[in-house]
Amino acid sequence: MSNDRLDLPQGTLDLLILKSLSLGAQHGWAISERLHQVSRATLQIPQGSLYPALHRLERQGWIRAEWGASENNRRARFYELTRTGRKQLETETAAWDKLTSAVALVLRMA
Amino acid sequence: MLSDLRFRLRALFDRSRMERELDDELRFHLERETEKHMRAGLPHAEAERLAQVTFGGMSRIKDDTRDSRGVIGIEVFQQDLRYAWRGLRSRPGFAIAVVLTLGLGIGANTAMFGIVDRLLFRPPAHLSTPDRVHRVFARYVWDGKERAEGSFAYTRFLDFSRLTRSFDRIAAATTRRLPVGSGAEAREMNVAPVSATLFDFFDARPALGRYFAPDEDRTPAGAPVAVLGYGFWQSRYGGRADVLGKSLHVGDAVYTIVGVAPEGFVGVTEEAAPAVFLPITAFASSRNRTYFQNYSWTWHDVVARRKPDASVAEASRDLSAAFAQSWELERQLEPSLPSAAKVNARAEAMPVLQSRGPEVGRDAKVVTWVMGVAFIVLLVACANVANLLLARAVSRRREIALRLALGVTRRRLLQQLLTESLLLAALGGIAGLAAAQWGGQALRALFLRTEDASAVMTDGRTLAFAALITLAVALLTGLAPAIHGIRGDVADSLKSGRREGTYRRSRLRSSLLLFQSAFSVVLLIGAGLFVRSLANVRALRLGYDLEPLVYVEAKPRGVNLSVAQANALAERIIEVAEATPGIRSASLAISVPFYSSEGRGAPFVPGRDSLHKLGRFTLQAGSAKYFQTLGTRIMRGRGISDADHATSAPVIVINEAMANAIWPGEDALGKQMRIGSDTNPYMTVVGVVENMRGRQLTGDAEFWYYLPIKQYLARFGSLYPYAFVRVSGRAEDYVETLRRRLQPLMPGESYVSAVPMRSLVSPRQRSWEFGATMFVAFGALALVLAAIGLYSVIAYAVAQRTHELGVRIALGAGLADVIRMIVGQGVAFAAAGVAIGSVIALWAGKWVEPLLFSQKVRDPLIYLAVAVALLIVALVATLRPALRATRVDPTVALRAD
Repeated sequence: MSNDRLDLPQGTLDLLILKSLSLGAQHGWAISERLHQVSRATLQIPQGSLYPALHRLERQGWIRAEWGASENNRRARFYELTRTGRKQLETETAAWDKLTSAVALVLRMA
Repeated sequence: MLSDLRFRLRALFDRSRMERELDDELRFHLERETEKHMRAGLPHAEAERLAQVTFGGMSRIKDDTRDSRGVIGIEVFQQDLRYAWRGLRSRPGFAIAVVLTLGLGIGANTAMFGIVDRLLFRPPAHLSTPDRVHRVFARYVWDGKERAEGSFAYTRFLDFSRLTRSFDRIAAATTRRLPVGSGAEAREMNVAPVSATLFDFFDARPALGRYFAPDEDRTPAGAPVAVLGYGFWQSRYGGRADVLGKSLHVGDAVYTIVGVAPEGFVGVTEEAAPAVFLPITAFASSRNRTYFQNYSWTWHDVVARRKPDASVAEASRDLSAAFAQSWELERQLEPSLPSAAKVNARAEAMPVLQSRGPEVGRDAKVVTWVMGVAFIVLLVACANVANLLLARAVSRRREIALRLALGVTRRRLLQQLLTESLLLAALGGIAGLAAAQWGGQALRALFLRTEDASAVMTDGRTLAFAALITLAVALLTGLAPAIHGIRGDVADSLKSGRREGTYRRSRLRSSLLLFQSAFSVVLLIGAGLFVRSLANVRALRLGYDLEPLVYVEAKPRGVNLSVAQANALAERIIEVAEATPGIRSASLAISVPFYSSEGRGAPFVPGRDSLHKLGRFTLQAGSAKYFQTLGTRIMRGRGISDADHATSAPVIVINEAMANAIWPGEDALGKQMRIGSDTNPYMTVVGVVENMRGRQLTGDAEFWYYLPIKQYLARFGSLYPYAFVRVSGRAEDYVETLRRRLQPLMPGESYVSAVPMRSLVSPRQRSWEFGATMFVAFGALALVLAAIGLYSVIAYAVAQRTHELGVRIALGAGLADVIRMIVGQGVAFAAAGVAIGSVIALWAGKWVEPLLFSQKVRDPLIYLAVAVALLIVALVATLRPALRATRVDPTVALRAD
């Protein structure tokens, strides 16, 4: 394992899940694969920790789940964004952008 | 918000389905991951392993997912409950010990709560806005002492109604024992004369018919109508609806039944539920024609309901002003009265419950103490259970460590352990309710005057209280052991195994044990004090024999007997009574101890002034067999004889206290005195008899003097005669026989009552009896609990020290050494408990002393007895573990683990 892999900052997993669902409904494994690929394997996300987060987001009403057939025709649980979830993604993305640019600014200037 | 709720509800009710779905979802993930690795060329087994590793701990993730679903609380609780239940089932001995211990503690408290609540907190049934309902008490200074008076004249009640502004309702109420029914059916029952306004204080409709109306309750005489009490309606009339319009003989008059009070309705009395409610003016006019015109007859309570906008202080000020005005009105009738300002006449709005008014009885105080004692028993029980749980937590260390290692969070584990103690407490609570139901019956019979004291199981307040203390018990017993259990290093616990390297004494367990033994000592000392005090009460010589005495009272009704007729009736009663088999002797009397006494003021003695300053004098008159019948000892001179008749020389017999007070150091025999007025002839003292008690069991000796009844009648006229009858055996056995034989003598509607003397004195001894019974019961309970605690701690210590003991025995320690070591430990605990407990008892003693009957709280004998008792218990409790310790086989002990 390479040393340049990062642990996920607290609370950002939700944002990443919402983002990866913004392209359409997906099941848990696909989300995990996607995060792994898109981050070019730099983000250290234990696969299991995905599920508590998914269920929490479902409870909050930001995503909803439905059983459907997977690519290889097996029963899988698909998650998709709800309207409030989409809004939540927007506000959280904006907040994240603001935060990172502010932190970056401070790091450059100070 | 809504989706959240739906989600939680689904999670709660659809638990098994959600659980299945979660399994499916996670399995799907693992399968895909495995496939991925297989596609990359790994063999199936390797791929599967890798998938599991990257996924993380399955059970932990499932737990977390369940947590994030929200209903975690209830769902996990159910699961924990099942787990705890299985745990208890696997160790029934432990479970039963704990449940019984808690059951006794909770039961004691629940039963006591029922009584304390009744006496001190619960307002009368059906009373609306009880916070605003007050009992009125007047205060004034009389004879240099401030008096609180809760009893009023009807005229005063009228003044209060007219002169106060801060009340929206005001009522007069009292209760009397009166004959109800006619002829042989007549029975003395509690009857409540109340004003019509009293019913407006309650928000319950009559069970049948109506209450009486204000125009049926007015001066000079109210209408002869009656409202039946629910219980009486059920028992006498079988709850039939056709009682309305029937007539009923109550006291001297006949009333028409117009309604039946609702179930549980007693008005504002704290005595037995009244059989009948009468308009107070109808009752009063049958007794006294001028009851509403003067203030001489003070006989009923006044209750008033404060207007919502008036404070208690304002209400009391209002009452005080009205009382002062009323006092002045009384002074216009009786100019000899001092002014209202001079006696500082005030009135107060007190809580409606009598035991919270100014006249707090010894009963209420003793009950409060016993409640405190019950609470201590509960604490001791909790300490005991906490100790057992601690022992268990320590022996479960390895199991707990294992679960921690498997990824169960400490919080979950804490929850689980607390659930277990909650389950134990709940089972204890159920056992406690059963105990309270069963034991409470006896308690209430001892303590509450109300016959309809409701059962524990059906009483909401008592059940709520039981639930509350059950919860508190769960926390109290569970918290320490639970925290203790999950603390500590996982790896360490797993490595050390069952036996810890060396024996470590748990400081927490030791202090719990000390606490237990100390409080058992306190309770046992209390028990000792109350038992001695009760023995003192029982041993108290009243100046007459209690057990073989019956007092008989003839109650004329509906007839006007002339003096001659009344006296002839009295003579006949004595004759018939004495002719009854088993009756030793009988005598007429005019006073009955603890029931009715005739005061004639202080006697006049030549050369002695102001004898009234010595105290109260009570006059008794009796037939020739008076002293013989009562068993009163004659100390000097003679008693009353047949020769003392109306025309013979006037004689008098006095008691020792009176002789010593009037003629200290002199011989009273042959001295002269007269009573009533100074125109009456002098009487010669012919006898001195032993002291006697007829007003109070405690306090200064009472002054009694005795006249031959014939001389009394000749000088003071008619009498309302009582008779004393001495039986051979127990008075109770003769009461019914006497009543049946004497009843035919009674003219018209008159009737006769026969009551054992003991029943007049017993209520006065009740608080001592109750205190002794309860302290002994609870003290014994605490002692048993302490013994269990000691046993479990020592037994556990022995089990833990098996290794060490093995070494010692291998090194040559003898049997006696081992026993001495183990037993010494137990005895040391007990000794420390005795020391601490004695200090607490000495300190708390000063508050208990007023409740004891001529018993000093610092009674070394009691302290000694308790110390010995606890040490013996400690010896017995530790002997078994000690013997087990001696059987430790060094080879086995050293090789084990």
